[in-house]
Amino acid sequence: MNGAARGLKSLAEQAWLPIVLVIVWWFASDWWWSTTTDSKKAFLPPLSRIWDAFIEEAQSGDLGVNFVASMRNIALGLLVGVVVGIAIGTVVGRSRAARAILNPYLQFARSVPQVALVPIIIGAFGITWVPKIWAIAIACIWPILLNTVDGIRAIDPAVRDMTKAYRLTSGHELFRVVLPAALPQIMAGIRVSLGVAVVVMVVSEIYGSTEGLGYFINYEKGLYRGPETWMATVLVGLIGYGLSLAFLVVEKFTLRWYHESAK
Amino acid sequence: MKTPMSEEEHEMTIAEAEPVQATRPDTKLTVTQLGKTYVTGKESHEIFRNVELTVEPGEIVSIVGPSGVGKTTLLRCLAGLLEATTGEIWIGDRRLAGPVPEMGLVFQDYSRSLLPWMRSRANVALPLESKGIARAERNRLAEESLAAVGLEGAGHKYPWQMSGGMQQRVAIARAIAYQADILLMDEPFASVDAQTRFDLEDLALDVRRRLGVSIVLVTHDIDEAVYLADRVIVLSGKPASVVDVVEVDLGRERDQLSTKALPAFAEARTRVLRQIRRP
Repeated sequence: MNGAARGLKSLAEQAWLPIVLVIVWWFASDWWWSTTTDSKKAFLPPLSRIWDAFIEEAQSGDLGVNFVASMRNIALGLLVGVVVGIAIGTVVGRSRAARAILNPYLQFARSVPQVALVPIIIGAFGITWVPKIWAIAIACIWPILLNTVDGIRAIDPAVRDMTKAYRLTSGHELFRVVLPAALPQIMAGIRVSLGVAVVVMVVSEIYGSTEGLGYFINYEKGLYRGPETWMATVLVGLIGYGLSLAFLVVEKFTLRWYHESAK
Repeated sequence: MKTPMSEEEHEMTIAEAEPVQATRPDTKLTVTQLGKTYVTGKESHEIFRNVELTVEPGEIVSIVGPSGVGKTTLLRCLAGLLEATTGEIWIGDRRLAGPVPEMGLVFQDYSRSLLPWMRSRANVALPLESKGIARAERNRLAEESLAAVGLEGAGHKYPWQMSGGMQQRVAIARAIAYQADILLMDEPFASVDAQTRFDLEDLALDVRRRLGVSIVLVTHDIDEAVYLADRVIVLSGKPASVVDVVEVDLGRERDQLSTKALPAFAEARTRVLRQIRRP
């Protein structure tokens, strides 16, 4: 069997179950919805109606606007979180004194459920999109920061000896040696942050906003529009899944040396 | 009297014979009364004392001793990575106070000292980047140094795509490209198989012959110490001190088979072994 055929086979192996589930969902929900008299049925629409809602909202442009707003918040929030997390993590990871002083605070900050900060941040800074970026960024910082610290501390002393013996400049040491060495752990931290970012994005938009998928979900719920609410919720789930898939691809390339050298 | 033509030819042959280093190294390493004591809390732990040694340009000096005697600690002091408690280390006419560009270090564990996210060429060139050498010149030096250790054309490979012996060659190439006058080697051939080990030992001799560098080699392998060295320093005791200095009179051209069969080799080997095993 050649490579393409093997690829198709593994795709088929992975895809059959979700396809079957969607088909079952489609028909079973239609049947249940048309026979039941349950008062909850407004919020338990059949899949066919959820799909119709998607087509309708996508064509009207409403969904697109909210989708773009959410993606902007998550992208900028993550970007700030990654940069600040790695920067502070690098300082703390390289300084014993900074660790000794900051460690209890870092452990506390990590333990606070980050969505609990959303009301404070939005209360203080308003319902525009910029405070949402801060909320996402603040939530994303901790896993990245703490993993950066761990990654830097785990660097082999032999590597330190090498950088000293060969008199590397501090810039080369940091960007060519220390950060690449810590990258596997940093990437693991970013991966955790991706999930956190989606949660905070949705919650911050539900809590107080005029745009975004969280806002859309909450707004449509208020109008008792079950299919629209469901559609946006499923979309948020797909965004989370898509982000982690995209991240896997990035990780596979940037950490090829790590996976290959561990073989 | 020389004609301009012959002068040019003369220059060309030098350039070809010594591709990496422009001038013959002439840095002498002198160690006087060196001692190292670790102090942890109230306890102090003396590792070695009164170590004296001299390495002339182009010499290979082996430091042998039982494991745990403090050979690596001594080498780390020589490399400027560790501050000695007493005594002085001189590089030429300067006193050592930290790592210097005249010394290149080759570590025991090549798999940890080479960076797996860089191709071998980049690994060799990284210290040159810090020296501020331009990219084209860096790459030329790196390729030449890789060729000098028998890795011509392997610059695009990552360390983990290479065998242990090849990785240690890359580590040696890094020290050569750094244009060090003195190579400090800490058990450099301890983690490769026997045949590769012989090849790398001969590579060390070859590098000395072609580049004129001096080598300080820490090893626990007595055969290796004698085979490579002009002089063997025997460390023993607790705290360790130099118990014997064995001059190895085997000439500069050596061969794994014939040199090791010489009576002088056996004599030196026996003398070193006796010193180490002495209770």
